[in-house]
Amino acid sequence: MAQHTVESVDAAAHRVTLALEVGLYPIEVLYGAAYVFIDRCFVLLDKDEGKDGPSKGGRYLVHLRGKTELSKKELLDLSGEFGNELLSQALRRKVVKANQKIIEEITTQAIAGAAGGTLPTDFLDSSDDGMDFLDDPLGIAVPWEDKFKKKSADQP
Amino acid sequence: MSQAQTAVVRLHRALYMQQAIKEAANTFADFASFKIVRDGEHYAVSVSDIDGEVEGDVVAEFCNFALHNTMQRKKKRI
Repeated sequence: MAQHTVESVDAAAHRVTLALEVGLYPIEVLYGAAYVFIDRCFVLLDKDEGKDGPSKGGRYLVHLRGKTELSKKELLDLSGEFGNELLSQALRRKVVKANQKIIEEITTQAIAGAAGGTLPTDFLDSSDDGMDFLDDPLGIAVPWEDKFKKKSADQP
Repeated sequence: MSQAQTAVVRLHRALYMQQAIKEAANTFADFASFKIVRDGEHYAVSVSDIDGEVEGDVVAEFCNFALHNTMQRKKKRI
């Protein structure tokens, strides 16, 4: 099974080196996984051309060194987590690729909405209805007291 | 953490961008001197005059920055 392998573990230097075949994951996946680990440890990427070796396409080497002291077990755990992150990034990339069109459409709609979108045609209709802005045909501007004032006692 | 006053880091050209390495070198210019040369498939970065007073590993942090800058630049390209 093609997968990443732990190339070496140096507990004294708190360093673990992983190797993965170049064709196994796209470079973006490798960058994505490295990005997640960059705040936890020192990440150094390298490429082994491996022209004569078992992997003709070469191998990526990922050197991870803890920012704090790490035991051998912790280093192996770290390499395992990196492997998981590679898978996670690969899946994420696949999902994004599969839904690219939908994502683009939703984003376009959201941006168009935020930008104000297009005005309804009624608003753009410049025909004059002969009314002034002070006109109040529905009686909205009539004060409440005037509208519902109590009938005085002398009124029948 | 004490460290050697000089070091050479080899960064693969297929994985690190020269501009990103230069940017990282500028970031750490106050703590060390950097010289970047092409060496086959790698960029060989000679780090010298590393400030001994600095807490932490300047060279390793420089590598992290170079990688981060490369990712940022590649992302912009996409």
